[in-house]
Amino acid sequence: MTRFLIVDDSSTMRRIIINTLNKLGFDQTVEAANGREGIERLDAGVADIVITDWNMPEMSGLEFLRQIRAQERTRDLPVLMVTTNAAKDDIVEALRAGVSNYVVKPFTTDTFKEKIDAVLGKPTP
Amino acid sequence: MTQVNDPVLSHLLASSREVLEAMVGRSVTFSLPIEGEALRPRSNVVGTSAFTGSIGGGLVAFYTTLETAKVLTATMLGIRETPVDDEVIDAIGEITNMIAGTLRTKMAADGDLWAVSIPTVTVGSDFYTKCVRDVRRVLCPLKIDEHELFIELIVASQSKAA
Repeated sequence: MTRFLIVDDSSTMRRIIINTLNKLGFDQTVEAANGREGIERLDAGVADIVITDWNMPEMSGLEFLRQIRAQERTRDLPVLMVTTNAAKDDIVEALRAGVSNYVVKPFTTDTFKEKIDAVLGKPTP
Repeated sequence: MTQVNDPVLSHLLASSREVLEAMVGRSVTFSLPIEGEALRPRSNVVGTSAFTGSIGGGLVAFYTTLETAKVLTATMLGIRETPVDDEVIDAIGEITNMIAGTLRTKMAADGDLWAVSIPTVTVGSDFYTKCVRDVRRVLCPLKIDEHELFIELIVASQSKAA
């Protein structure tokens, strides 16, 4: 079963993402409130996919992403960024930092499924 | 009353509709925006997010009663029980964040890249917000079912900001 690490400083967004994953049949989730906590969770080996916000205190999603890509053990981990930062420049910056895919808030369950399928390498119907 | 012919205001209304309809799963109905200081909404929960861009600096504010804020929060979280205060504050902050962020994206598509702050949420009673500088304020009333909410665009005069 695919295990998800959800990193967001908003408990509301973490709950919305978990509810969406549950609707899609995924129930293995772990939460973190910022990038620093996210690194700690990854060090404990809890996730197959990371879903992260961009703007967070202590360590931003972008810095978190760069640290994931800098470590041998997590370099190839799929990372989905869920954010309101959807200007072209933002997306380019996130892609350069190594994000696997990008979900713009607010999102629908269908959009979320499409992005999850893409990072899992599932063909789109 | 003011007509919606201002691109920033038009983007703000579209952003509010997109966010609220996606988060709450209900249709949003807007009334005509009201320009000026004359009318202030009675609200217990106010989310604000500051921005700077080519039009100057300002705020996006989201006003709701505590009762409506709890309904919105419970719907967003998918829970039946009444949400606790921290959940309400976080949910209203997230709505404000998404509205301001979506507005920023629409402005960026028009070639104007804004900076937007993280949101702040004020909860209480018998208070109102007053800007100490020369600003333009446009209040946009909206309804979700029987619940009345308000979005406000506050823009500081560029000459004062310089």
